[in-house]
Amino acid sequence: MSHVDGRRHFVWGVVGALCVATRVHAQGAPPAAHEDTAFDVMNVLSDHGLHDLDHENWNLYGQTTYISSWHPSFAAPYTNANGSVNSLLPAPEWSFTDSFTVFLAVRLWPGAEAYFVPEVISERAFSGLHGIGGAIQNFELQKTGSVTPQVYMSRAYIRQNIDLGGKLIEHTSQPTQLGRKVKSRRLVLTLGNFSVLDFFDRSSVAWDPRQTFFNMAFMTYASWDFNADARGYTWGGIAELDWDEWSMRIARTASPQNPNVLPIDFRIWEYYGDQVELQHDHVLFGQPGAVRLLGYRNNVNAGRFADAINTFAHDPTKNAAGCAAAGLYNYGSGNVTAPDLCWVRKENDKIGLGINIEQHVTKDLGVFARWMTSDGQTEVDAYNPADRSFAFGATMKGGLWRRPFDVAGTGVALSWISSIHAQYLAMGGVDGFVGDGHLRQGAEGVVEGFYSFNLFKALWLSADYQFMWNPGFNQDRGPLHIFGVRAHAEF
Amino acid sequence: MAVATVVLHGTRAAAQQAQGFNVERFYPSAPGAGWFVMDDLDIHGDVGGAMQVTAAYDRDPLLVGSGASRLAVVSDRAFANFGGSMWYKRWRFYLNFDLPAVVYGSSGVVGGYTFTAPNVDPTTLPDPVGDVRLGTDMRVFGDPHGPFRFGIGAQVFYPSGRSQDYDTDGTFHAMFRALFAGNTDHFTYAAHIGTHLRWFDESQTPGSPKGSELLYGIAAGPIMPIGTSSWALVVGPEIYGATALRAFFSPTSTALEGLLSARLEGTRDDTIQIRIKLGAGVGNGQFGAPEWRVLTSIEIFNHNHVEHAP
Repeated sequence: MSHVDGRRHFVWGVVGALCVATRVHAQGAPPAAHEDTAFDVMNVLSDHGLHDLDHENWNLYGQTTYISSWHPSFAAPYTNANGSVNSLLPAPEWSFTDSFTVFLAVRLWPGAEAYFVPEVISERAFSGLHGIGGAIQNFELQKTGSVTPQVYMSRAYIRQNIDLGGKLIEHTSQPTQLGRKVKSRRLVLTLGNFSVLDFFDRSSVAWDPRQTFFNMAFMTYASWDFNADARGYTWGGIAELDWDEWSMRIARTASPQNPNVLPIDFRIWEYYGDQVELQHDHVLFGQPGAVRLLGYRNNVNAGRFADAINTFAHDPTKNAAGCAAAGLYNYGSGNVTAPDLCWVRKENDKIGLGINIEQHVTKDLGVFARWMTSDGQTEVDAYNPADRSFAFGATMKGGLWRRPFDVAGTGVALSWISSIHAQYLAMGGVDGFVGDGHLRQGAEGVVEGFYSFNLFKALWLSADYQFMWNPGFNQDRGPLHIFGVRAHAEF
Repeated sequence: MAVATVVLHGTRAAAQQAQGFNVERFYPSAPGAGWFVMDDLDIHGDVGGAMQVTAAYDRDPLLVGSGASRLAVVSDRAFANFGGSMWYKRWRFYLNFDLPAVVYGSSGVVGGYTFTAPNVDPTTLPDPVGDVRLGTDMRVFGDPHGPFRFGIGAQVFYPSGRSQDYDTDGTFHAMFRALFAGNTDHFTYAAHIGTHLRWFDESQTPGSPKGSELLYGIAAGPIMPIGTSSWALVVGPEIYGATALRAFFSPTSTALEGLLSARLEGTRDDTIQIRIKLGAGVGNGQFGAPEWRVLTSIEIFNHNHVEHAP
């Protein structure tokens, strides 16, 4: 890291250390519940009679999060075999992310709200973010950055709420939500730049990943290849119909120009991601819960594994090492004996279906389970390469031991790839994240446990342990232990 | 867009690569500050705030060389600027984000330096953010609606974006300004003078910054109430610019722009108000001042003035 880089890093670190308060939501994850006792900008103004949290015309929140992860060496009979480039390195490695986000919201006209969310990310991934499939150990690593902090616009969108009747329900003041009362039956239209996860698959058990699980496998379905640029955001429109305990959401979003890159293809009528989610909220034994069904279909510029294998079989010169010379977008593999998706990228479909069930068992304890299957024929376009995934776990607030703002949690996540995907990797192929040169197919799994210790109702210090097996869906590699710490502040 | 390649005044073989920098000379006033660039110092009331979106287009903000063979390194720049401010009594704090949308130009060699054209558009960079500005202003004395107000302001710019796209110097920089403003029932004016502490100094490179600069500007215009409503129209020129301290007002290190602006604004103190601004202007085509620019802005602000019991 250069001197200038170090200085910038230090400045952001100081900013982060000075930030205090509560509640924020991270990329794509739902915000933590509003706490009237929180110490943040809006609550301080409200406490002094200078802001009405229940009838807001504007609000401003912020957060900063630092996550550090380390893994000791692990067993691996081969790494980046035959010129492949996507192995998780078996030597000890350190990784970090540091993010800083400002959430601005303003009411424009009756029912209309505008949101603007700039963000800064600084990060270093294990092995250049290679070698782990559906269970990347730190969810913030999806944001594609470098050690030098980078500022970008994460969200800029407008929402129009159209009341359709029903009872009044309260929307509390929080990041990307103005405090106000709305009708339980309403249509909400959203247009602009956002993360699909801001609106879909919003769990109230494994909520803000900046307070709960570190691992990306618990943030949403690991095998949901939702459309996004390389930072997890995209452009598009969403229509959401809320009808008392039922909700239905549909979205069309723009896709990256090539898989896992930042530039977006704005030809949204030609290349797109569509998703539909049906949600039912219920009360079981006096405790809230929800069931969500989600389906998606991407129509994007991506390669199919079977096409890559067949192309290589018919013409071995169309191998992974030849992509760069042919001027085709590729992941840098130098394996002359392997097929590559670069030769076969074209307009292709990818579909998937998932279900998410969550249930509060007590006021403080909640459990959840997510399962999704995708067709497994096409490469990862935006999220991660898993083709099927299942995760379950529980989170618990510390009311029982008189630490109501503390959070503990544990969970298990498994992800699989399809047989054709496995065949492609076994031949030495690579996709955006995995490909060791060889493969003995297995389910990639992780068990995670964490504890978040709250200070001043505004700062969380967390310790985390993850045990991961079959990284990159490869039984030949691992298992490995990952240790993590996190400092998270909200203001 | 096609990017032309021009070779002027030198040979490519011997040329050095010119560094990019923040070419923009439009430094918007703080959200809620009235004018496009000047500050009306109308900072009063309890906790109030403003949000502002400005959209602008600059034509030829970076021309290097001379005569008919000038190279438009940056020929087109369209951007949005989003900001929010909060104020309390005499103080204002604000945060602004520069969001370049389109930056195009031409590559070429001038004066022994190779200039590489910027290339920014939403398809290549969907989420760009240029330098981030954090600022504070204070109305030191003068009634918020009186004929003379004096204030001071400071801004710090955090480097963001890509210097090769002429969005940033790649270093921190800061501005310190003395602010003057006042108004009567039918006339308003504002002015500033200050310094831009800028560490980027490529004095030998044509068109490049030459270190720290002097800032200056003045604006004035009539206030025209709209009938008996609580709206008013303010029309007036804003003239502003910057010159390098080490080459004080030399033609190639001085930027000067004139902007004719009109703004329609709500004048009530006790509720949320809107201000809509339109502007068009010309520059001297030097040191980052464009040949011409057009811009528009919309602000939502609330002075939240509460009459307290004595």
